[in-house]
Amino acid sequence: MSKEKSAEKKGRVMWGFIYVFAFIVTFAGSAVLKMTCNPYAGGFSTDWNDSVGKEYTDISYGDGEADKFDLYVPAGIPADSYGLIVYLHAGGFTAGDKSDDTRILRWLCSKGYVTAGINYTLFSEDRNPDANVYTQSVEIKESMSHVVAEAEKLGYHIDKMAIGGGSAGHALAMIYAYRDADKSPVPVRMTFGAVGPSCFYVEDWINIGGNPDKPVAFDPDKDYQGIADIFTAMSGNKITNDMFRTGEYKELMKNISAEMWINEYSVPAVVAYGSWDKLQAFGASLKLRQALENNGIDYQYFEMKHSGHGLQNDSKMYAEYMWKVLEYLDIYMPVDGQ
Amino acid sequence: MTLTRKRIIILFIIIIIAAVLGRLAVRAVMNFMLGGTMSGGNFL
Repeated sequence: MSKEKSAEKKGRVMWGFIYVFAFIVTFAGSAVLKMTCNPYAGGFSTDWNDSVGKEYTDISYGDGEADKFDLYVPAGIPADSYGLIVYLHAGGFTAGDKSDDTRILRWLCSKGYVTAGINYTLFSEDRNPDANVYTQSVEIKESMSHVVAEAEKLGYHIDKMAIGGGSAGHALAMIYAYRDADKSPVPVRMTFGAVGPSCFYVEDWINIGGNPDKPVAFDPDKDYQGIADIFTAMSGNKITNDMFRTGEYKELMKNISAEMWINEYSVPAVVAYGSWDKLQAFGASLKLRQALENNGIDYQYFEMKHSGHGLQNDSKMYAEYMWKVLEYLDIYMPVDGQ
Repeated sequence: MTLTRKRIIILFIIIIIAAVLGRLAVRAVMNFMLGGTMSGGNFL
């Protein structure tokens, strides 16, 4: 009798261990799978080799340490002219590198475009305290003639371009497309990107990460010094809490507010935003949409209602956004010979 | 139903719960850092 009891107890303990082990292994495996696999991500990459294209890295465009770009040129039958797609990296204006976007740059190159990833001087309190979104936008503007010239040197005549990016890169891409397009060495045909701040209105930025359906109203008696400090760091202009009451800050933010430069001649856009974004103001994207709508611009606006800055909970819609980018490229940046 | 059969069924239930919780845990952490909702959207 006691032998049976002992065997039963042993069995219970063994199964207890099996349950705990199975839980831990499955939990960890499931978490890793969630982080590494996206069932909707298929089709946005290419097997890169010499038959697809060639890449040229770290080409200088200025005196700054960061002033470098990578260029990807397509292989195959030479065309009379090519469309250039510039994609600017993310990283909150303080981090990131053009190499982070190798995958998308190669993929777009495989579609027949010359593509380029451009670095810009990142803000850092000790190394680059004077860098800000405005100085970065100027670097991007100045880099473009070098990118086009390098492509020409390699035998790729550029006759049009599109510019896109992610987050900070998207903000810089929109600034180029809407503020600087008339100074571009080749005509800008469209812009695309995700979660880039397009404008800086205090009423939007006080609601970062809040419920998008219940935004808090701007209170002129409240202290928004934290937002003023962020605006100062981004624009390079001194913004104070008092300026929020008078509206004086808006003109000082204009140089980095792509939305404020949109007019009836502006280029088409495909953009994606997360409603619960904690790193940039979702409300700013609604103003961008309004500006595009008011000026009769051909645009596509994807609102990912369950996601934040990573657009991480709406993978299917993210894939739709990517396909729409490709569709717009086909329309506004047709590949020569197609 | 034998005891072993019952234990295997419990094991399957534990595996399913762990798989769901694993994904939800990643989603919760990502939402905490980037913003987002726990329900809706694409679970996969």
